[in-house]
Order: sequence, then C-alpha cells, then structure tokens
Amino acid sequence: MKKASLIKMAAFLAASFAIQLSGAKAALAETAEANYALYCVQCHGSAGTGKGINAPYLAVAPRNHTSDKDMSSLTDDGIALAIKEGGAAVSKSTQMPAWKSVLTDAEIKDLVAHLRKMCKCSFKKP
Amino acid sequence: MKGKNMKKTVVITALLALVLASSQAFAADGAALVKSNKCDSCHKMTGPAVKTLKEIEARKAPDLFYAGSKFNKDWLVKFLQNPSQIRPAGTVYTNFLKKGEQDTVAEPPKCASKLDAGGAAAVADYLMTLKDASMKTGVAKLGEFSKAKAKMLIIKTEACNGCHRIEGNGGVSCPTFEGIGARLNPDFVYNFVQHPQQFDPKIWMAKRELAENDLQLIVNYIASLK
Ligand code: HEC
Ligand code: HEC
Ligand code: HEC
Repeated sequence: MKKASLIKMAAFLAASFAIQLSGAKAALAETAEANYALYCVQCHGSAGTGKGINAPYLAVAPRNHTSDKDMSSLTDDGIALAIKEGGAAVSKSTQMPAWKSVLTDAEIKDLVAHLRKMCKCSFKKP
Repeated sequence: MKGKNMKKTVVITALLALVLASSQAFAADGAALVKSNKCDSCHKMTGPAVKTLKEIEARKAPDLFYAGSKFNKDWLVKFLQNPSQIRPAGTVYTNFLKKGEQDTVAEPPKCASKLDAGGAAAVADYLMTLKDASMKTGVAKLGEFSKAKAKMLIIKTEACNGCHRIEGNGGVSCPTFEGIGARLNPDFVYNFVQHPQQFDPKIWMAKRELAENDLQLIVNYIASLK
C-alpha cells in the first residue's frame, strides 16, 4: 500500500470517528430550534414576536425576540440567566419561568445564540 | 370462639373474598377492554416516559401508565363514558398551532373513549392499578385554607394562569384548572407541582422552588376546584 493511500485511510477513519462522536452528542441535547418551538413559542409566539397562544392572558407582555430595540440592551449572560433562573432573577416578571429543570446549560447557551439570530442584533457587551 | 361467632366470621370472610375476587375480575375485564378498544393506539399504557422532543411531538394523548396515581376513580368512570375537553390546545399544543401575527389554535380532538357504564367502571378499576411506585403518597394535607392567599400565589406570584385556565381566564397550552379538583388525586398534584419532570422529563411546565406551605396552599386550592 502506498504511503499516500495510508494517510487517506487514516484521515477517513478519523473523520468517521468524529461523525460518530458528534452523532452521539446530538442524541443527548436538543437543538435550540426544537427547544424554542416547544418551551418558548407558547408565550413568545411562533414568530418570536411575543404573540404566543398564552400571551393574551399574561399580565406582562412576553419579550419580542425579533426586536433589535428590545433585545440589544440585554447581555448574553443576562439572557442566559433569565432563561435558566426565570424573570425574577433579572428583576423582570415572574411570568417568565425558570427553565433549568428541562434545559441544560449547553442548551441554554445554544438558545442565546438562536435568539441573537432571531433579532439579527448583537447583544450588549457586559 | 363460639359456634355462632365462628359462623359469622366465616360468612364475613367469604363475602370479603367474593368482593375482592370480583373487583379483581373487574380489573381484568378492564384490561381486556383497554386492549379491544385500542386505547393504546393513542395513549402510552406502559412506562417509562419518553425523553426526546421528537417523541413528545408524536404524542397523540396523555400517558396513562401512572393513571392509578394520577386520577380520582369516580372522575374516570364519568369521563370514560362521555369525555370532556381538558386541554384547550390539544395534548401537545404545537400540533394544533395556527401560526399567525397572533398565534391561535385549531379545535383539538377529545378522547375517543365511548364506554358504557359497566365498561367504564371496569376500565377505571384497571387504570387505578397502574401506579407510579416512586410517587410520594400521603403528602397532601387538605384542610382549611385562605382562598385569597392561594389566588395571590397562583395568579400573581407564580403566574400559573399564564398557561392554565382558571375560572374562565388564563393560558391554553396545557390542562384547564376547571374541574381539576374532581379529576386529580391531591397527592399527584403535590408531586407534579413540586417536580413536573419527574413524571415527564420533557414537559413544558417549568419546575418551581416552592416552600412547603405554599405548595400545600396550591394543592388545597386545586383540590377545591370541583
Ligand atoms: C409563560 C410564558 C413564557 C414562557 C413559556 C417563556 N417566556 Fe420568556 N418571557 C415571558 C414574559 C412575560 C417576559 C417579559 C418579562 C418582563 O418584561 O418583565 C419574558 C421575557 C423573556 C426574555 C427577556 C428577559 C429580560 O431580561 O428582559 C427572554 C430572553 C426570554 N423571555 C426568553 C425565553 C425563552 C428562551 C423561553 C423558552 C425556553 C421563554 N422565554 C419562555 C414569558 C414567557
Ligand atoms: C383516537 C385517540 C384516542 C383513543 C383511541 C383513546 N383516547 Fe383517551 N384521550 C385522547 C386524547 C386526545 C385525550 C386528551 C383530551 C384532552 O386533554 O382534552 C385523551 C384523554 C384521556 C384521559 C384523560 C387523561 C389526562 O391526563 O387528562 C383518559 C383517562 C383517557 N383518555 C382514557 C382512555 C381510555 C381508557 C381509552 C380506551 C377505552 C382511550 N382513552 C382511548 C385520545 C384517545
Ligand atoms: C409554562 C406553562 C405552565 C405554567 C406557567 C404552569 N404550568 Fe402546570 N402544566 C403545564 C403543562 C404543559 C402540564 C402538563 C400537561 C399534560 O399533562 O398534558 C401542566 C400540568 C400541571 C398539573 C397536572 C395537571 C394535569 O391535568 O395533568 C398541575 C396540577 C399543574 N400543572 C399545576 C400548575 C401550577 C400550580 C402552576 C403554578 C405554580 C403551573 N402549573 C404553572 C404548563 C404550565
């Protein structure tokens, strides 16, 4: 066997191993899109504008996640904290629940990145 | 033991055995009815609960494999003959969502059970045998409570009404509180509110840190909504 084909084969093995690894990881954590669709859409709405099916019954309007104006004043850490520990932890309404019982820290981090995409804005630097 | 008393004991024991045997026979009939009515085509009748969002999305009806820990039997007997709508937006709201400027929901289906009185009693007997062995029992302490304080907690502080319908008002993404006291075993309410994910790891109700007396206040209020 030539040296070049040996290297190719090693590269192929390494690549398929990496694919297997990342596949295993995907089975454990849910995507930010899927988490948002089940846990957040009920209040924040399918478009993320705060018009979910529960929104008409909330005393405080859910944040419009697509609004540059509303979202760019928040920091990454502040948003992660609001999702993990709930509105009360960031001096906002308790109508925003704490999601740490269903979402892992890694999933929350993914959600923050997802929210940044939704508002097409960068969040405030701490 | 005197002859007369002995006879009495024998008769009572025989009667007791008969009652026990017949309720067991009833539960067995119930299991057969669950099979012949294909309740399991919509409901998960054996555990454990699903653990992925994909499986949640595929859920057609609520899990029944811990029904004996969850429901009051009298309610089951009535419901199975004439099911009412419990979840205004369906079992999994995302499947009935009408997306729009303001999201709304399509009319979701009710339970398909159409058992007669005898069948419903037999199935209820069977469902009551399906227990969650890990659920704490004897924990709900029902008694006098302040309804005003309970409402303050449920509506203001904890905002349960954000998702649950209470006295004609409130969210729609999960079961209504209307008639919930007749429906649910107070011990189940205690356990579920304390940690919803212990029953359903991916359920879209967040766990709350509640003090014991606040939890009891909630359990009492919910039990009173008949
Ligand atoms: C029961 C309804 C409800 C659900 C479910 C919900 N939220 Fe909220 N959320 C709210 C409300 C109400 C506010 C506004 C709070 C305020 O302005 O005081 C809010 C605010 C927020 C904010 C802004 C926080 C801040 O500091 O201003 C973020 C970010 C957020 N939600 C993310 C999420 C994410 C992500 C999810 C899903 C994992 C989610 N929310 C689920 C009701 C909800
Ligand atoms: C075609 C699907 C379907 C079949 C078949 C069906 N059900 Fe249901 N069932 C549902 C749905 C959907 C709900 C939720 C209704 C609601 O929340 O409004 C439900 C609700 C229930 C509930 C209440 C559950 C809860 O947590 O609130 C019980 C108990 C129940 N069904 C028992 C039965 C039994 C027993 C059978 C068989 C005799 C049966 N169902 C057959 C769809 C079905
Ligand atoms: C973010 C939405 C949301 C909020 C807020 C919420 N719940 Fe729930 N609740 C749910 C969902 C989803 C279920 C499970 C639905 C199912 O089994 O079909 C549920 C189920 C329940 C049940 C079991 C009922 C049943 O019919 O199976 C009880 C009891 C309950 N919630 C009480 C409360 C209390 C008390 C509060 C406030 C402390 C609260 N919930 C806040 C979403 C919510």
